Amino acid sequence: MFKVSLRSLLSHKLRLALTATAIILGVTFVAGTLVLTDTIRNTFEGVLSNVDKGVAVQVKGATPATPSGRLLNQNLPLPESVLARVQKVSGVADAVGVVERSGVSLLQNGQVVGATDHAAMLGLNWVSDSQLSSFELTSGTAPRSADEVVINARAATNGHLAVGQQIQVSFEASAAQPFVISGIATFGGQASIATEGFALFTLPTAESLLEANNTFDVIDVSAQSGVTDLQLRDRVASALSGTGVQVQTGAQAASETEQNAVTDINEFIGTPLLVFAFVAVFVGSFLIANTFSILVAQRTQELALLRALGATRGQVFTEVITEAALTGVLASLVGFLLGILVADGLIHLVGSSAKLSVQPDALITSVLVGTIITVIAAALPARRATRIAPVAALREAQPEFQGLPRVRIACGLLLFLGGTAGLLQSLFTATATSGPNLSVLGLSVLGIFLGTALLAPILVRPVATVLGWPARFRGAPGRLAGENARRNPRRTALTSAALMIGLALVTAVAVITDSVEASINQALDGTVKAQLVVIAEGSGAFSPEVASTLRADPRLTDVSEIRGSDVLVGDIETNVIGLDTSNVSRIFSFSMTQGSAASIATGDTTIVDSTEAATENIHLGSVVTMTFPNGDKVTMTVGGIYTPDALISGYLVSLGTLNPHLTTARDSDVALNPAPGVSVASADASMLNDLRAYPQLSGLTKTQYKNLISAGLNTFLNLIYVLLGLAIIIAVVGIVNTLALSVLERTRELGLLRALGMTRGQTREMVAWESVIIALLGAVLGLAVGAGLGIALVSSLHSDGISQTAVPGNNLILYAVAAALFGIIASIFPAIRASRVDILRAVTSE
Amino acid sequence: MSVSQTAPGPPPPPAPPAPELVPIAARTVGAVKVYGRGETAVRALDGISADFVSHQFTAIMGASGSGKSTLLHCLAGLDRLTSGQTFIAGYELGRLTDRQLTLLRREKVGFIFQSLNLVPTLNALDNIVLPLTIAGRKPEPGVVEGVVQMTGLADRLKHRPGELSGGQQQRVAAARALVSRPEIIFADEPTGNLDSKAGGELLAFLRKAVDTLGQTIVIVTHDPFAASHADRVIFLADGRVVQEMRSPTADSILAVVRHLGD
Repeated sequence: MFKVSLRSLLSHKLRLALTATAIILGVTFVAGTLVLTDTIRNTFEGVLSNVDKGVAVQVKGATPATPSGRLLNQNLPLPESVLARVQKVSGVADAVGVVERSGVSLLQNGQVVGATDHAAMLGLNWVSDSQLSSFELTSGTAPRSADEVVINARAATNGHLAVGQQIQVSFEASAAQPFVISGIATFGGQASIATEGFALFTLPTAESLLEANNTFDVIDVSAQSGVTDLQLRDRVASALSGTGVQVQTGAQAASETEQNAVTDINEFIGTPLLVFAFVAVFVGSFLIANTFSILVAQRTQELALLRALGATRGQVFTEVITEAALTGVLASLVGFLLGILVADGLIHLVGSSAKLSVQPDALITSVLVGTIITVIAAALPARRATRIAPVAALREAQPEFQGLPRVRIACGLLLFLGGTAGLLQSLFTATATSGPNLSVLGLSVLGIFLGTALLAPILVRPVATVLGWPARFRGAPGRLAGENARRNPRRTALTSAALMIGLALVTAVAVITDSVEASINQALDGTVKAQLVVIAEGSGAFSPEVASTLRADPRLTDVSEIRGSDVLVGDIETNVIGLDTSNVSRIFSFSMTQGSAASIATGDTTIVDSTEAATENIHLGSVVTMTFPNGDKVTMTVGGIYTPDALISGYLVSLGTLNPHLTTARDSDVALNPAPGVSVASADASMLNDLRAYPQLSGLTKTQYKNLISAGLNTFLNLIYVLLGLAIIIAVVGIVNTLALSVLERTRELGLLRALGMTRGQTREMVAWESVIIALLGAVLGLAVGAGLGIALVSSLHSDGISQTAVPGNNLILYAVAAALFGIIASIFPAIRASRVDILRAVTSE
Repeated sequence: MSVSQTAPGPPPPPAPPAPELVPIAARTVGAVKVYGRGETAVRALDGISADFVSHQFTAIMGASGSGKSTLLHCLAGLDRLTSGQTFIAGYELGRLTDRQLTLLRREKVGFIFQSLNLVPTLNALDNIVLPLTIAGRKPEPGVVEGVVQMTGLADRLKHRPGELSGGQQQRVAAARALVSRPEIIFADEPTGNLDSKAGGELLAFLRKAVDTLGQTIVIVTHDPFAASHADRVIFLADGRVVQEMRSPTADSILAVVRHLGD
């Protein structure tokens, strides 16, 4: 039977190509993702294996803990005295303190230079002991005086900076200080640390500029010969016992860094891409299932002949499945090769010179995923093939008008309702801290999609009748197209299901982004009374100097600093926001359900949003314990409960309450108003003038802020469009596939129509209309399911401040129109084939 | 009904047809059709000239490979000649583009094929009016009803082809050929897949269409009984016309067939 499979496969190259396309596209995405993440990981590991080789032991600050032992994921700075104690430990060859803080910007002519994407650089002190440093100069010298800086090679290239050049350096938007570039360096041979730039200073400069206040972030220790890393770690640990600091061997520290890096890569790149790859493969599986169904239907006579000749049902099943598996393996291999090309392209696109890492695991995973999906998708059609009676070999194949088995309807309903129940359950029982159970959520959505796909054939007739109605005005082509779309509801439904999934996901994301935007706008119009705001590009924190500068401007008033800090409330890691109480009523208008916002002016008093209050069982007058990153534990009284919105939620305190517990005072935003009698426009101009010394900051009016948020959300939406575009392409290929096979199947009928006087143009139009009806069916189902998903998700976020549910009607109409256009595009090739049917061969019986 | 109503229709006849004593619906002059090339070339039609008189029922007979089906396809504008000319309603088919030929088929020609004549998604009535639907025309009042009455299918009009017997299907196909009142109807072995009773009914129907509606019909058949319904029989062998017979009977046809078979 293997021979039959192979022959069958090779004799239908078109069929092979069409089925394979779906698998290839899906596997390309999977393989591309795997190769890309492997490459990033490999590069990172390569860098890490090159760095800190001489570090035998690393000391880090203590981590504040709650009474029950939960740690805040932030290390306290190490006092300078710790370094002296480490240096005295026997077996220590050298120990150096390192100040290491993010937030450095290089400025030139009032502009940020050398940065990538406005991201701040890492600032460090230069370590001259090459055993303990991974920075290598590529030109120039190490910083020797207070005004010298060494920058990373990527920054030098990006900013066209050279040794000897004058430059200004600012840390978190503090006043810029003049520096001279004394050298250019690499880190472990790389032009930057992953994508982050760095600037190296002398230790005193680093301490003052980075506001380390006589502390270090890390102490690196090298060992004398004959002392193992483990021995030294234990000696250092015992020397520092009781201080709570963390002591690790260099290897432990490196593997921790590597672990974190790998987790980051997976979290920010790998997992999202794999989710999209999964969507692509899932959508593709519909296409594969559909193709095999049509093929089995068309091969009825051939398979019946095999049965008549004595093949068992098992052999027929094996024959179809083997063909599927062969197709799967071949297509997966092609997809894998394409995936490598895609990964290579993406790496070049971001300007990286990383060497592509193609692991056997990626190959195995890709081929397994592609093949298994193909085999699973082909299993149902193969089972149907086993039910073909041998006598069918003798019958003229007749296009069947299928009914729907009850079992199918029952399964569909079960999956759809079960999925809906699971979705609602996972969304609405989610707590603020744990979030929804993602695996339940994912399976539920999967269930909804599968259920809809199973039930869709029921909807084909009514929907095709409605959608086909305008087509009827186009005479015979439109009329016949409507009939063709309805003649095999399962085929039409399965074909449109692929588009349904793609569009449903796009629609759901569009509903969510639109709702978030509407909620933020509502918050800006309702809660935020300030007319102007200052934020850092790249959402960094900035120095209070900025607020002082603005306060000095007579055209501005109510200059109000907003400051945040990580905090543990009880055992929950969250954050607390400090507000300027002197003018809070002119900056914010909280809608209080209990107590008053003014209560925070009293020391150690907090107000909390109603959702948090409900989940944590907090009431007016309750007492909560906050553990700050510096280790302070403070008991706060709840002075009020407010309704959260899209911008403000969580614990709010006064700046006076917050400041004593912060290591450095940094603002996240500054809100302000025009002085009385000054227009918003001229106040804005004045503010921008004040901010000219801080190019890393943006001063915005309320409208500009809304536009900025809207632009950010649109960028996100566009990214989703691009990623889901692949699913749409697969869906379009699916329509091409179905139509091409249908045209093949209807050769005689098409020939008859042509003989009866249907022109080629009319024939093409007929196929195009059928395609449009299939696409619109997918669009209607997709928009409905997607809007439902989106609304459910948004509703579950109501208590978190996403109070508005916005369904972007224009977008949805656009998607439907786009789907119809995709339908027309998908019909081009099958329509041309249909119009070229050889009339004579179609109508003669011989 | 004039072809020029459907723009862009076929061009006007290259040369006005010479006045005929009897009106001619279709004509072929020196028709040659060669399949293949060189040594494997087969002359399916080897210089056939024939006229098909309007309002007449003509049968084309011949053994397998005699070229009878090829002649029908070329006459009907489904296939093109290698050399020679064919005319329908005065138009020379060889000079028409594919689109013009399509429109000519739509306006001037009716078809009945051996099997799978109907569009499976449409019911009987929709199949009958399909040529009109394709042309975007409304049937003339009474025509459809009249034709349906003749077929005796009035109670089966809402049925799909799959729910009709083979004989009923062929009668639907015949009604469809009639409904646009074409210049000429071509039928390729229309009774080939029918039992003798259903075949007889269909032939009686075609005969009636010629007698009462003045329809012109050309059928290809190898069945002497079927051919005996015609006004005239043309016998083909090896791509040539070898004999003609008027007012045939089944026996006289059988005699010729036997003779040609020798």
